[in-house]
Amino acid sequence: MDIRLNNVNKKLGDFHLKDLNINIHEGEYFVLLGPSGSGKTKTIELIAGLLNPDSGTISGVEGKQTGLIYQDYMLFPHLNVYENISYGLRFRDLKKDEIRQKVNNVAEQFGITHLLRKRIGMLSGGEKQRTAIARATILSPDIYIFDEPTSALDRNLKEMTRSLFRKFHKKTGKTFIHVTHDFEEAISLADKIGIIFDGKIVQTGTPDEIFTSPSSKAVADFLGYKNVIKGEVKKGVFRSNGIHISVRGEDSSLSYIAVRSDDILLSKKEIDSSARNSFRGEVIEIYKRATGVEIIVDIGFPLISEITRKSFDDMNIREGCSLWVTFKVSSVRVFSHDPDISLGDR
Amino acid sequence: MKLRHLFFVPGISLLLFIAYPLIKMVFNVDPSILLDTAKEKEVINSIILTLRASLIATIAALITGIPLAFIFARKEFPGKKILEGLIDIPVIIPHTAVGIALLSAWGRHSFLSKSTGLNIVGTEIAISMAMFFVSVPFLINSVKSGFRMIDPRYEKTALTLGANPWQMFYTVSLPMVKKSIISGSIMMWGRGISEFGAVIILAYHPVTAPVLIFERFQNYGLKYALPVTVIMIIVSLLIFILIRIYEARK
Repeated sequence: MDIRLNNVNKKLGDFHLKDLNINIHEGEYFVLLGPSGSGKTKTIELIAGLLNPDSGTISGVEGKQTGLIYQDYMLFPHLNVYENISYGLRFRDLKKDEIRQKVNNVAEQFGITHLLRKRIGMLSGGEKQRTAIARATILSPDIYIFDEPTSALDRNLKEMTRSLFRKFHKKTGKTFIHVTHDFEEAISLADKIGIIFDGKIVQTGTPDEIFTSPSSKAVADFLGYKNVIKGEVKKGVFRSNGIHISVRGEDSSLSYIAVRSDDILLSKKEIDSSARNSFRGEVIEIYKRATGVEIIVDIGFPLISEITRKSFDDMNIREGCSLWVTFKVSSVRVFSHDPDISLGDR
Repeated sequence: MKLRHLFFVPGISLLLFIAYPLIKMVFNVDPSILLDTAKEKEVINSIILTLRASLIATIAALITGIPLAFIFARKEFPGKKILEGLIDIPVIIPHTAVGIALLSAWGRHSFLSKSTGLNIVGTEIAISMAMFFVSVPFLINSVKSGFRMIDPRYEKTALTLGANPWQMFYTVSLPMVKKSIISGSIMMWGRGISEFGAVIILAYHPVTAPVLIFERFQNYGLKYALPVTVIMIIVSLLIFILIRIYEARK
């Protein structure tokens, strides 16, 4: 059954969640993306039934077991790993042996059998995370909710954790709701993304929809990249619309590259440099901004470059004139969105 | 001179200010008189009564005060600040005034006494009530700040794992503030033991240790008050040290 939030309003002190409309399909990986303080955690607490809406309705969650895993895992420090994992079973009509059996099974599944007697304070970050997910999983939840699960991890661990989440979602087939402020994380995991700003959902859609056509400048700015292009990656070359861009990334039939506007150099003549990506294009639009000037150059697709006013004046750039755009391989970000794991309605 | 050396001077003065009279008192007492006093039935009874009455007050405060501390820590409601202020009042008003207030509320001809049929003046219950009144802020404030220190998301997690609010409170909130409860209880119990002003107005008899000390000082002078005082201090210190050792071991 789909989870639907219809015109949900909730006032909490000075903060207001306004007219939330969210539709999450059963089995979907939904990512709620937004900056800190935008109301992400409050929204998932509404879905988990920890808060009641002031107005509006939430359907599809009645009688469902939700597994909510908060940012810092919230493992009970006065209980050991075994007692934490078995916590939810205390309130079910189960015999001690049955509980032990279930805990052992889930501990084995998450590779934490050797930790069962340990105190929470003795665990590493990764062990805590696995314990917290095991504690939720033992209750066979219909809906998993993760609140910023990777924010405390370093870059390498983040990548690993994302891959684990993808696999875990695929394996369980359950509805996943995942809160993050990191758009790379969102694009790499989500079937569908909801973007929330200041208590309001400003856009929902597939990563594709959101990254190719952000609904507002605020969304685009939040995404941080003025240049997001869809295409495919083969042997270190990204192809889109006949243009080949050198990148660092794994092969994928569906990829996105993103380049920051201030990473793109403009020149009148082709520069002899170490930068591997150099294209000739035509200036199609010029926008003067407070911080500088935004020049849009068509190289087969539009590319936005931001330069200083002084450079703009010195180079005497006009609409229609021809320019070279140059950027380094290292300034191109590649996001793969693995289509195999998508269970949504695309 | 280094800063930390400079800081030692006022610090040591403060410690001496507290320690000197206590040490002086202990050395002023003749050990044989001390021993004789320790065997006196009146002294033993008054010390046991004091410890017991304060313990009863503390237990009553645990039962009534923990839920209140939880509400103060977790809920927002109009008038909360006023109610929290009310809890602190016993700390700032003279304790003889507390005694008078309790006497007017529970005295022989009071409404409460007549309607409940309870005549508490001059009983151990009155002593516990007086101790409760003056020392309960220590427990409530300690437990309240304990609850405030717990991230409410622990409690929310317990709820999503299937606990009902009572089970959540009993299995998560309460064990997580155990330390605050223990330290608050020790503070309250200790403060209750030392209470004199409110107790003497509500119940001169049965005689608590602080009242006995006062009585002996009034009637026989410093020399006779000293042994009881020293014994009371030794007993209190021993109990507190034992509790701290027990706590440190856990």
